[in-house]
Amino acid sequence: MEARTVIDCDVHHARRTDDELLDYLSPAWREYVLGPGPAGIVPLTVKDGYPNPHGFMRADTYPADGGPPGSDLKLMDEQLLGPAGTVRAVLTYGDDMHVSGHHNPYFATELARALNDWTVERWLAADERLVGSIIVACQLPDEAAAEIRRHADNPRMAQVMLADNPTKQGFGHPIFHPIYEAAAETGRPVAIHAGANDWANPPSTGGATASTYLEVHALWPQAIQTHFVSLVAHGVFEKYRDLKVLLIEGGSAWIPSLLWRFDTEYKGLRREVPWLRKLPSEYFNEHVWVTSQPLELSPRREQIVELLRWFDAENRLVFSSDYPHWDADDLDYLRGRIPQDWHARVFRENAMRLYGWTEADLPTPVAEAAA
Amino acid sequence: MKVNVGSFDAFPERSVTVVEAGGREVGIVRWNGSVYALANVCTHQRGPLCRGTLGSRLVGGAPGTMELDDDGPVIACPWHGWEFDVRTGRAIWDERYAVRTYPAEVEGADVVVEVGAR
Repeated sequence: MEARTVIDCDVHHARRTDDELLDYLSPAWREYVLGPGPAGIVPLTVKDGYPNPHGFMRADTYPADGGPPGSDLKLMDEQLLGPAGTVRAVLTYGDDMHVSGHHNPYFATELARALNDWTVERWLAADERLVGSIIVACQLPDEAAAEIRRHADNPRMAQVMLADNPTKQGFGHPIFHPIYEAAAETGRPVAIHAGANDWANPPSTGGATASTYLEVHALWPQAIQTHFVSLVAHGVFEKYRDLKVLLIEGGSAWIPSLLWRFDTEYKGLRREVPWLRKLPSEYFNEHVWVTSQPLELSPRREQIVELLRWFDAENRLVFSSDYPHWDADDLDYLRGRIPQDWHARVFRENAMRLYGWTEADLPTPVAEAAA
Repeated sequence: MKVNVGSFDAFPERSVTVVEAGGREVGIVRWNGSVYALANVCTHQRGPLCRGTLGSRLVGGAPGTMELDDDGPVIACPWHGWEFDVRTGRAIWDERYAVRTYPAEVEGADVVVEVGAR
C-alpha cells in the first residue's frame, strides 16, 4: 500500500442524484424545486454555456452502476485516493461549484447551504481523508459570510470557495469583503476556482465572447488573473492581513509575466491605490497559493520549471489532481515534471502551510495505525 | 562642490526647475519655502524625471480611502509616471529604490546645491 503522504487540493465530488441534495433543502425551497410537477423540477445546477465534445469528465471515471463521475467514493478511492497515497483530499464540488451562476441569488444561497451540509454528512463523515470547501453564493455576500461562520467550528470544512461570479465585479471589490472578513475571522483560506467568471452566462473571457470550449478553456487563466489583480488593487490583503488565497485550476506559467507587469504598472499608477504598501508581487508571495493542475505542458520540461521558479512555486504550488475532470493531471506525470527536491513541499507541506495543518491534524495512515 | 544655481526668488513656489550644476542636470524644487535638489534622471528608463509633474503626496489609509500629505512633494516622471519623494529621492512605490538627491539650501538670497565632483 502506498504511504499516505499526498495532499490533493482539487478533487471534485458530485451528487449521484438530485434527491441527495433535495434532502438538505428547507421544506419551502424543496417545495419550490418540486412544485413544477409534470414539468420536472427546477434545475439544481446551472448548465455550462459551452459544450465539451468529449464531455467534461475523464471517460473512465463513470461509476458502473450509474451516477456522474465523482459521485462514488469507492471508485474515487480506487482510482485516485488509494493509488496516489492521498492523506487529504480537498473536495471542491462538481457542477455544483457553479452555484453562484444561478440567476436567483436567494436560491443560490439556499443551495450553497444545502451543498455544504450534504458534503459534511455524506462525504466528510464517510472518509477521514476528505475535507470540504464552504461553497458560497457570492451574489449575497452577507449571507455568504454567515454561511462561512456557520462552519467555523468544523475544521474539516477547510476553505471558502468562490467560482462563478455573475456580478461583473472583480473579487477584490468591496461588495465581497464580508466574505473575506468571515474567512479571515474563521481562519479559512479563500479558494477561487477557474473559470471564476460567469459559467452559465458568457462572455467568459476578456476582450470578446469565445466561440468554442477550446477558446474558453485556453483562456481560463484570464478570470483568475482578473480576480487576483482585483484583490490586490482593492487592498484586500491590507484589510485582511492574514487572509490566504488559493487559485485553483488557472495554470501557473503566466504568473511571472503578470507579476512583472503588475509591479511595473503599479509604479506608475500608485496614485489610484495609495492604500497599497507593497508591490503586487509581494502580496502574491505572502498571501497566494496556486494549484498545480493544469501544469502547462512546455515543449521541454526545463522551460516550465524555469517559469515556476520565478514565482517561488517551490513554496507556493500545491498539488491538485482535478479528478475526475477530463483535464486532470496524473500524480506520477506531475512528479516527473517538477524537480524532485520540491516534491515534499508541493505534494504536502505547502498545503499544510496554506490550511494551517500540523501533522496531528492529518488522519493517521491505516498501516501506521495498525502497527 | 557647492554650486550657486540662482536666486531663491527665481524658483517659484511649488515648482520644479531644471538647472545645470557641476556638469549635471539637477531639478530644483521649491516647496513650502524649502528647496530640494535631485538628479534629472529616473531610475526606470533614465527619463528626464524633473520635467515631470510635481504635486502633493497621496497617502493611503484604509483601502478605498486616501489623504493629502501637503508637506511632502512628489515628482512623477513624465515618461511613465513613476513617483519619487523629492525630499529623500525614495520611490513612493518601494523605498528600496531611489533617485539621487543633493543637499540644497538657501544662502542669503540664493539657492546653493552641493554636488559631488564629476
